Amino acid sequence: MEKNNKATNHRTRSAVDGRAKDRVDRVDPYGFERSEDFDYESYEELMSEYLVVLTRRTIKWSKLLKGKGKVQKNVKLKRYVRKGIPNEHRALIWMAASGAQDQLEKNPGYYQSLLGAQHDPKLAETICTDLNRTFPDNILFRKTSSPCLQKALNNVLLAYGHHNQAVGYCQGMNFIAGYLLIITKDEEKSFWLMDALLSRILPDYYSPAMLGLKTDQEVLGELVKMKIPRVWQTMVDHNVMWTLVVSRWFICLYIDILPVETVLRIWDCLFYEGSKILFRVALTLIHHNQALIQQAQSLPDVCQNFKQITHGPFVDECHTFMQKIFTEPGSLPMATLTKLRATCRSRIIAEES
Amino acid sequence: MSRKKAAKGKAATSSPSAGSPTGGKGTGKAARSSPGIVQMNGVVHPSRPSISNSSEFYDIAFKVMLVGDSGVGKTCLLVRFKDGAFLAGSFISTVGIDFRNKVLNIDGVKVKLQIWDTAGQERFRSVTHAYYRDAHALLLLYDVTNKTSFDNIQAWLTEIHEYAQQDVVLMLLGNKADATHDRVVKREDGERLAKEFGVPFMETSARSGLNVELAFTAVAKELKHRSVKDPSEKFKLQEYVNKEMKGTGCCRS
Repeated sequence: MEKNNKATNHRTRSAVDGRAKDRVDRVDPYGFERSEDFDYESYEELMSEYLVVLTRRTIKWSKLLKGKGKVQKNVKLKRYVRKGIPNEHRALIWMAASGAQDQLEKNPGYYQSLLGAQHDPKLAETICTDLNRTFPDNILFRKTSSPCLQKALNNVLLAYGHHNQAVGYCQGMNFIAGYLLIITKDEEKSFWLMDALLSRILPDYYSPAMLGLKTDQEVLGELVKMKIPRVWQTMVDHNVMWTLVVSRWFICLYIDILPVETVLRIWDCLFYEGSKILFRVALTLIHHNQALIQQAQSLPDVCQNFKQITHGPFVDECHTFMQKIFTEPGSLPMATLTKLRATCRSRIIAEES
Repeated sequence: MSRKKAAKGKAATSSPSAGSPTGGKGTGKAARSSPGIVQMNGVVHPSRPSISNSSEFYDIAFKVMLVGDSGVGKTCLLVRFKDGAFLAGSFISTVGIDFRNKVLNIDGVKVKLQIWDTAGQERFRSVTHAYYRDAHALLLLYDVTNKTSFDNIQAWLTEIHEYAQQDVVLMLLGNKADATHDRVVKREDGERLAKEFGVPFMETSARSGLNVELAFTAVAKELKHRSVKDPSEKFKLQEYVNKEMKGTGCCRS
């Protein structure tokens, strides 16, 4: 997360550093406590630039949405989404773009009825195990917080588990539901966004066989083989399975991998454009850091380097990063992705049977 | 990142095989094989310290996996062992698979344990059991305050027998032994089950630190013993553990 800004920190500025620490909140705008080694100085520098962007975008978005009851998907909106949705419009745009709003309107009272029904005790217990382990560093999830998002998290996960019994609950969904609650501040909306992600936007990452996850990990491998062959060779040389280094990227949709602001910018595109964006992010991270990855001397080194590439200024500067993901990995036609998914999927099924 | 130890600078002088990351094509293979994990009965080079850019010197290395139901305390046990700290209410559920290294000095030999932490939820097993194959040791955990996690041990053992190497070092750990009020699995129950399956057993607590060091040290001793000595001359893991183990209610620390 934002903990690893040390590289850009200059020790000599410690006096200024102290002042930055006084000016910047200890808790970020989403409720996450900043870590002890948080680099306030670099953060302030970064935000002073990003705030200009945010302000400009907010004005443009206000004009775009003015007087409109319903949001229409079109080229202009897509461009706007790629440049970032201001936080106050996120819930609205995510709901509209993903079809979650339509589902919510078509199914009034459905969410409440799921909550009111008899709960599967095993599902409830599994979810309960993860409640205290979801964002303990976020003040909104504390038992003492009012409103306490932990209760809401439990509700959304329980309701979803009953709604989609083939999936039930899978670890990783707790983090996703948590983010949705932080942004929408609304259980029912979070539930329908969850539904949009799991039933339409993402392949079957979370079902018991996790076939969609296994497939996409292999697909990424194939894309790296085509686009960044030397990294692919490094992986082969050290016998590193892709699942080892990227399973969390896919399952958690970059939560707790990349900084919060960057994750939200990725999710803007995820809800609007679909799961291809996850590959764009992965390929950009790998492409940009290919020299480092290739330096690895062993399997643990490879794993270590893959952790390292998700930290630092490159991912902290979310606006530039989001521009990069559309240029750095080069073209990525949906047809290629569909074809690779089919090939990898059959290969995995064949291997497992 | 803080994990980069000072060892990096020493690498060039003491370990020619792993010194230069950009080493020519010819040396590429040697550089790779040196810091690798030794095979179970493979050749060990105690005289040639190995190094990788993310760890300290070591003579031999082994892969240890932590397995067991979700929430039994695998990550906490590992963090307690690695950093000597307890993550009270500040840890998150492990998704997928992760690892940490720790080098132990076992009778003058530097043994590197590469410890793999896995997600406990059943569906992740299809992702993680591919890793059982290469594991030299497995620490199987249950939570003494959670009956289900204890009842699932049999299923875990079946899974381990199916996917792990036959001679994998296995140890059963009853974690959260400090939680006297919430305990539902008696120590004797754990002992009985362990005996039934012929597995060494002890209770641990990541919170208090009880037996955490011992669990990993015992495994490291067994692995080291197997690889450097004649395998017929057996190190008795359970005997060692019994001798060194501390009871839950014991005030001696």
